Amino acid sequence: MDSARPGHPPDNEPPRDGVPAPADPPSGAVLPGGMGAGSRRLRRRGQGELESQVLAVLRSANGPATAGWVQEHLEGDLAYTTVITILSRLYAKSAVTRSREGRSYTWTSVSDEAGLAALRMRRVLDGERDRDAVLARFISALSPGDEDRLRALLARADAPDDPYNPRDTEGM
Amino acid sequence: MGVFVCLPLVLPLTALPIARLAEQHLHPRIATRLLAVVGALLALCSTLCLGLLMVVGTAQLPGNPLPDGWSDPEVREAVPYEEKAGIVAIGALAAVLVACGWTVCRHLRLRIVARRALAAAPSVVSGDVAVLPDPEPYAYALPGSPGRVIVSTAMAECLDAWERRALIAHERAHLAARHHRYLLAAQLAARANPFLLPLRTAVSFSTERWADEEAACAVGDRRVVAVAVGKAALYSHRAPDVSAGFAAFAAPAGPVPRRVEALLAPVLPVRLWPPSSAHAALAALVATVGTAASALSSLNATVTLVGILHAATPL
Repeated sequence: MDSARPGHPPDNEPPRDGVPAPADPPSGAVLPGGMGAGSRRLRRRGQGELESQVLAVLRSANGPATAGWVQEHLEGDLAYTTVITILSRLYAKSAVTRSREGRSYTWTSVSDEAGLAALRMRRVLDGERDRDAVLARFISALSPGDEDRLRALLARADAPDDPYNPRDTEGM
Repeated sequence: MGVFVCLPLVLPLTALPIARLAEQHLHPRIATRLLAVVGALLALCSTLCLGLLMVVGTAQLPGNPLPDGWSDPEVREAVPYEEKAGIVAIGALAAVLVACGWTVCRHLRLRIVARRALAAAPSVVSGDVAVLPDPEPYAYALPGSPGRVIVSTAMAECLDAWERRALIAHERAHLAARHHRYLLAAQLAARANPFLLPLRTAVSFSTERWADEEAACAVGDRRVVAVAVGKAALYSHRAPDVSAGFAAFAAPAGPVPRRVEALLAPVLPVRLWPPSSAHAALAALVATVGTAASALSSLNATVTLVGILHAATPL
């Protein structure tokens, strides 16, 4: 368990993969966010990909796990703070829960990869008020009168004098 | 030329009768294509007209850095009330460009974000269908290459197997016929000229009808599609958070009952000529004449505009 590195400031890490040093304040100043390296990686790999990786690792734990444990089991060397950031994001999306144990949190996954995709898609759709113009949508909203009209129409469609109804003949 | 320069700004009104009548008298495929083309042409002409007025308007701004050719006296003569029209056109054209750019950006962004959300969970996608575990019922066609049909588990569960087939076929029809292009074109047209807003609503409705008809062909029964649409709508309506965001106004009949009704009625013939109703024929004629007049007027304006630009630029 690697919970003994809470004070490790990621800003002190050397720049990797030829990424030029950020034009941040001098490294002596510890920024409150302290995620320079982490956020660059997030962008490079795609936020969604990292989130599902972390979620997959957390699910493999079969129970509560610390952020340090997740970091150890993740492929690649992600900074501890990056893992914390991703876990916090997943927490905000209700994809994981957390409980305080001593000075740090333990995390438990409540949602699988598919559930996370659904959450994200829902957020995309809810964020667009005018989404009908972009995505062809199967059903649009009903006005109060529509409901009665629809029921009447469906009753007509289900009338017993159907000349041909494939659902009966082809054996659903 | 005089007032005729400004005609393309109001000629979109001639498309309103056909936008209203297409639904009842034209096959949805014909209706979608006709309305989208008419709308795009009218919007283009209207924007060109604004462009010409804008040139005149810009030339009058004191201290503008433009060459003298921009305020050619010949052009000034062509535009009535040049002072006011020019200044108003600058604002209008800027608003149109910003609105259109914003629409395109949002369209692309929504597609990218939705695609990324799916890409993060490859397990939910089988073939071109992605079933997302979500208690809210919805079904979408996400355009792109390849396109994806997105269905929530709640939506899939409220339908039986035949109706699910109809639903999938409906969304696949959207993708196969690239309905998002018609929708985007109609939306941009409505942004370019607010008179085209009813046209956008009509295009959006007729793409749904088009996909309904394609689904009916794929499933082999129009009634199954009608029941699927009706059941899904009633089920979605019951979910509290779906209707919350929409203003509840008592419209004559919403799009969903009209779709179900059309599916239960006999299919419309897939032809534009001979027309199935005199009203529709007249409306189509009015729209055609309006579009032609608009095109002629703005063609005239464009020739003038190109002439000025040619004279104004050293090249």
